[in-house]
Amino acid sequence: MTALRMLLRDWRGGELGVLFAALVIAVTIVAGISAFTTRLQNSLEQESHRFLAADRVVSSSTEVNNSWGEYALSQGLQVANTLSFPSMVYAGDEDMVLASVKAVSDNYPLRGELLRSDQPFAAPQAIANGPAAGTVWIDSRLFALLDIEVGAQLTIGEADFAVTAAIRSEPDQGSSFLGFGPRVLMNYADIPATEVVQVGSRVEYRLLLAGDTDALDTTVEWLEPRLQNGERLLDVASSQQSIGSALQRAEQFLLLAGSLGVVLAAVAIALGARRFSERHYDYVAIMKSLGATSGRIARLYGSSLLILGAAATLLGALLGWSMQSLFFLLFADALPVTPAPSGPRPYLMGMFTALVCLASFAWPPLRRLGKISPLRVLRRDMPGMAQRTVQDYLVGLGAIVLLMLWYSRDVNLTLAVLAGLACSALVAAAAATLLLRGGRLAGMRAGSVWRLALAGLQRRGAANTLQVVIFSMAIMLLLILVLVRTSLIEEWQTQLPQGTPNHFLINISPEQVNPVREALDRKAVLSQPLYPMVRGRVTHINAEPLGRSDDPEEGRRERETNLTWSDAVPPDNEVIAGSWWEADSAQPLVSLEEGIAESMRIKVGDTVTYTVGARELSVTVASIRRLDWGSMQPNFFMVFPPAVLQGYPATFMTSFYLGGEEKQFLNQFIREFPTVTVIEMDVVVQQVRAIVSQVSAAIELVLGVILLAGALVLIAGVQASVDARLLESAILRALGAPRKLILGSLVIEFGVLGLFAGSLATLAAELSVYILQTQALDMSYQPSPLLWFLGPLVGIVLIGGLGVWNCRRVISSPPLTVLREL
Amino acid sequence: MIKTENLLKRVEVAGGQLEILKGIDLEIKASESVAIVGASGSGKSTLLGLMAGLDEATAGKVWIDGIDLQQLDEDERALLRAEKVGFVFQSFQLLPSLTALENVMLPLELAGHKDAESRAAGFLERVELAERVTHYPSQLSGGEQQRVAIARAFAAEPVILFADEPTGNLDTETGAHIIDLLFEINREQGTTLVLVTHETRLAERCDRRVRLHAGAVVEAQT
Repeated sequence: MTALRMLLRDWRGGELGVLFAALVIAVTIVAGISAFTTRLQNSLEQESHRFLAADRVVSSSTEVNNSWGEYALSQGLQVANTLSFPSMVYAGDEDMVLASVKAVSDNYPLRGELLRSDQPFAAPQAIANGPAAGTVWIDSRLFALLDIEVGAQLTIGEADFAVTAAIRSEPDQGSSFLGFGPRVLMNYADIPATEVVQVGSRVEYRLLLAGDTDALDTTVEWLEPRLQNGERLLDVASSQQSIGSALQRAEQFLLLAGSLGVVLAAVAIALGARRFSERHYDYVAIMKSLGATSGRIARLYGSSLLILGAAATLLGALLGWSMQSLFFLLFADALPVTPAPSGPRPYLMGMFTALVCLASFAWPPLRRLGKISPLRVLRRDMPGMAQRTVQDYLVGLGAIVLLMLWYSRDVNLTLAVLAGLACSALVAAAAATLLLRGGRLAGMRAGSVWRLALAGLQRRGAANTLQVVIFSMAIMLLLILVLVRTSLIEEWQTQLPQGTPNHFLINISPEQVNPVREALDRKAVLSQPLYPMVRGRVTHINAEPLGRSDDPEEGRRERETNLTWSDAVPPDNEVIAGSWWEADSAQPLVSLEEGIAESMRIKVGDTVTYTVGARELSVTVASIRRLDWGSMQPNFFMVFPPAVLQGYPATFMTSFYLGGEEKQFLNQFIREFPTVTVIEMDVVVQQVRAIVSQVSAAIELVLGVILLAGALVLIAGVQASVDARLLESAILRALGAPRKLILGSLVIEFGVLGLFAGSLATLAAELSVYILQTQALDMSYQPSPLLWFLGPLVGIVLIGGLGVWNCRRVISSPPLTVLREL
Repeated sequence: MIKTENLLKRVEVAGGQLEILKGIDLEIKASESVAIVGASGSGKSTLLGLMAGLDEATAGKVWIDGIDLQQLDEDERALLRAEKVGFVFQSFQLLPSLTALENVMLPLELAGHKDAESRAAGFLERVELAERVTHYPSQLSGGEQQRVAIARAFAAEPVILFADEPTGNLDTETGAHIIDLLFEINREQGTTLVLVTHETRLAERCDRRVRLHAGAVVEAQT
């Protein structure tokens, strides 16, 4: 008899459902999630390359050696050039503004796209390349500042250009916007005509490179030893913090979810295989009585598993592929880039997972089928041989560790989940043993529903303990996922809530403070307070002068920075060392941001000396603050008591939210306050929000699939105990017990199991989430009181419902039919 | 054909050992039909299990066709069963997930018969179940199930047929019909028949009766 025929017969008989479904789900989860994360990673890498407008960039203060670009071209890379410099630009004879000019070659940008609009502040459109020679695109606010319209002439140095559009966003505009003038984008070929770039001008040349990884690596290797002073190689690592950390966590979450999904599926496979093997005791006994050898039985079941595994792999890979395709299909519009292909690796991973699961979880109980005694045909009460051995558990544990490690490539994550699982299994086993086996009641106690149910729980104490452990682990894993996902999404939403400031105003003079505030209030745009800003430079720490050095980090420290004053701790700031000064304090104190204090090696109590304008200012460090750089609020490295900065020249800044339909307001505002600089961050904020909501949706989708795996474990767990309960209930009914009694006791029995499992799962989930969030995911932990109500309830409803559903036959069909089938 | 010598079976029970068979000496010739009779718990089924090689004796020997079963391991005994032995059980022992036809095919497939399906169909026709080949055991009456079991037992053309209370689960009339069928095919195939029963009427149709009491042969009559 071929294995295939046996499988088909078993399929028809409904014996394979759980085992097959669990295998399919394992493959679907692994293939689907890893295809999804691979594609997302690939597209995110592209996405982050957008912030460079290339894959790698050489930045230089002098013209980049021509041979470098030629070498890159010879390696098959795409090459583009940019040059940025400040310059006065003129419209007509009177109006002139200091602008930040950027000249770009024809194929710029290599990654990402430019956004421009036909009119200032109008709806932006994406465009692949920059302005043609002889034309320029200028910042929206520059139209108002120069009082010109599209089509006007603009002069840069010795050359005239036609203004053909408003430039709204460049991929590599960078986040260090302070101090920059409004943008003018021109063609690289027009530089000589302007005659503005002289030796010694403050300029930045960039050589942009893009192409496949191997060619990039070769080129970078070739370039690195040739870099001179003032030349730097930039890569993706140096971009976008707020998107980066959100996505990194999302990815970690997906890997965590995937790992837990595989654990759940593995448990379901083990349970399914065990039940499958129990259902085959008689089958094997009869075959052996009819002359089948144990080798033959092993071959039969071994090849059955292989066929089953192959079918599940195919179906799972197909489902996994559909899952991630469906997702990318639904969210293609929200994606900033075309999703990159994932390649065959995710599907091979799925196949490997199926093989490992089959070999470690399904094969052990089936292998022992060969040892079933043929005497079972005469004596059905012969014990089966399905007792699990320590070896089985070790193999299973080893396989789970291997799969999780291989899959998440994160030792900490794997250890955190395993520790959580081990703790909860132990606690659940101990508690269940205590509760369920406290003392054995004699007899079936068929007099009342409650006593019948409770006696049943105790009679099957050993089996029930195992069930509670399995149920609570499954519910725990699901609760963990729901909890982590909820706090992840909440954290993102609070990070960039609706109405997040998306415009900054800087260079507001003290006299303009009130008129600007009034103008903003008139338009009812939500405005932050106006923060004073004083430019200053750190010169000494504890009377030691800061050394000059070529280290760019060192240079950054020495550069001018913005100082502000405040009586109170700024909103969203947290004092992590020292203490805040009292209101109206005139003491020479300062509060520093954590990161800058660390990089300058400054502690509370140190003395820092600044040069502000032409004057020196020495202050003592009173406190160190932590602040959230992803929040899009104005943030300051250095805060002083108001009295200390009194008398120094200050300008003011603020941020506010402006909806897309209200952008015309800026035109009018700039005409009213031509010296105030407006910085538009709405495109960036929009992008971050889009990515966050898209990744949240991905997480929901994955969670749905994992929930299926969890449900499967619960079904498999309930099924494992159904036969014994069916037999008992059928006998009771045959003896005259009313259906209500049987149904009631089943409801109570499974409900109590669910209550135990749900409560234990809640405890364990709370513990694991605490460890995960504080140790592995770097998030803040918050207890979830609602869970203590939901967890047990979910347990009761799920286990109670599934249990009664699986035992429904005993109530719906005549007892004789049930007894004959068992 | 079958011979036992001082066959002993002990099992561990709570509080000591229980001796189920206490040294059975028995010889059954080819084509002979023998009934093993006795009260419940007298050791009939245990003796049958040992003679068929389904279980191992604590001491003593069993030969089938001159082969010493004690010298064979479980797999070798299985091969011997495939070649020489058929069974009919009190509880029919049909596989619930297989149709009547597939149940009868099972020993033929195990023995590697290429024409398993047509032979199985032929035997089902012989037991008058040609119309029920695609039915599952749960769709058949007790008598019909036992007829499928008889078809399965004879399908591989065994030299020995062991029957354990073949009518135990059937009413008198159906039981009688089953017995007629069993003896009829047995005669046609010249099979050696070993039958465990406590029904006198059934035992009397055999060539010889062996009565067991508390694990020992108390009477053998022809």
